[in-house]
Amino acid sequence: MRRVYLDNSATTPVDPRVVEAMLPYLTEKFGNASSVHFYGQEARVALDRARREVAALINARPNELVFLSGGTEANNLAIRGIAESNAEHGRHIITSQIEHSAVRGVCDALEKRGWEVTRLPVYTDGIVRAADVRAALRPDTVLITVMLANNEIGTIQPVVEIGALVREEREARGRKYLWLHTDAVQAAGRMTVDVDALGCDLLSLSAHKLNAPKGAGALYVRRSVRLTPQSIGGHQERERRAGTESVPLLVAFGCAAALAREELPQRIEHLRRLRDEFERGVEARVSDIVYNGDRERRLPHLSNISFRFIEGEGLLINLDMQGVAVSTGSACSSGSLEPSPVIRALGRDDELARGSIRFSLGKDTTAEDIAYVLEVLPRAVENLRRLSPLYQKSLAGRACETTPA
Amino acid sequence: MSYSETVKDHLAHPRNAGELADADAVAELTNPACGDRLRLMLRIRDGRIAAARFLAYGCPPTLACGSALTSMLVGITPAEAALITRQQLIHTLDGLPARKNHAAALAIETLHAALLSHTAGVNGAQT
Repeated sequence: MRRVYLDNSATTPVDPRVVEAMLPYLTEKFGNASSVHFYGQEARVALDRARREVAALINARPNELVFLSGGTEANNLAIRGIAESNAEHGRHIITSQIEHSAVRGVCDALEKRGWEVTRLPVYTDGIVRAADVRAALRPDTVLITVMLANNEIGTIQPVVEIGALVREEREARGRKYLWLHTDAVQAAGRMTVDVDALGCDLLSLSAHKLNAPKGAGALYVRRSVRLTPQSIGGHQERERRAGTESVPLLVAFGCAAALAREELPQRIEHLRRLRDEFERGVEARVSDIVYNGDRERRLPHLSNISFRFIEGEGLLINLDMQGVAVSTGSACSSGSLEPSPVIRALGRDDELARGSIRFSLGKDTTAEDIAYVLEVLPRAVENLRRLSPLYQKSLAGRACETTPA
Repeated sequence: MSYSETVKDHLAHPRNAGELADADAVAELTNPACGDRLRLMLRIRDGRIAAARFLAYGCPPTLACGSALTSMLVGITPAEAALITRQQLIHTLDGLPARKNHAAALAIETLHAALLSHTAGVNGAQT
């Protein structure tokens, strides 16, 4: 059976060039980067190089990066680290309704400990408004955390505008204790990410969304930004993240970042072309679909579609049985009763939220892959709609409409 | 969450899906917690269930329960149908994830409601 992986927003396959780069650090080059001897120095050199490569991907300085285990840890360190080190200056955080659960969860936890959290709406297009951020700002706001691009619908958030707003607050009003964090886990490798252009103070990255293995990530911390470490007991990462660095995983991360930077324009072009071809194909073959999120301001690799009258997990399993891997915002998959908060934040009803499917392409997705999905998908949708009482009722309704009076 | 091969098979190849003309017993129930919906239609002839059809909206287990339950019903009497339990239905599907047992509960409740709707010959079989 042909297999097509369209779940690259969940994770990406590891690039063979990345595997090759990391292998020596799993075998003969096993040193601890904190050791003084030859083995340690060999690891240190590799780690420094990886740091330069990841820094280059986001136009940062190498010493502004804290290596850690992934996007979730980066978001934890950024938000808790800033909140805790600025607690005496204020306890108000501004975020959005569509953040990744790692950001959402940390904000919820801080709220229980006495911080106040404003969660901005995103409207039907799935985009936060900078004007809403301005309106939400208070004298005690210490942190704004808004993702660069959403993980479910791919919408690109106005971080540049929010960054400008933060700079203005600092310069015109002399605010010293207001920081901007952005979760760029989904954005990196799929759009240009430049910390200076964004004007952010902190930015989260994950290796495994960039064709590197799971278990590595980074937090960019702009020079002069102080944050409370969340892991202590070692001098690694300039005292900001204790623990022996995983040299092989970080070497892989560095290599993947270098490849992503080098190949970014081609990757974007390739992804957008196939994604658009996919969407045209779906429109031509399947009725009653609704796109989720703005279709212009979004990442090039992602398409989120609600199929009316059916529930997402049933469609996911039907596709999986034919070798196509996708994901859904249906509550079934998450194990909760509430469907995706992101799709709900767009103002969609339960049925549309439950029927949402995320198709996320990768740099290695081919035109043949898309053709195969377009062959399989309409049948799978039809299969489930034939079972659906909602669909049957809608058909009956349409038949009435077309019957002459 | 992982589903048994039997659940997946019912999902890919649903048995007895669709509307049933001349149904004698019909019920459509919705699970208020999650919005899952099951419509069950039975044709009863000579004291036996001659045909059973279903329509379902919701989680895969709800769809699979509709498909499996209708397969169990054809050929038996309404009295026998009324005795089918949630556990039997789950067993037929080679199990459901624990959190999804409510799908079987919805199916059995819908079956009971359908049987109740069929007054003649079924009233005596209520358990």
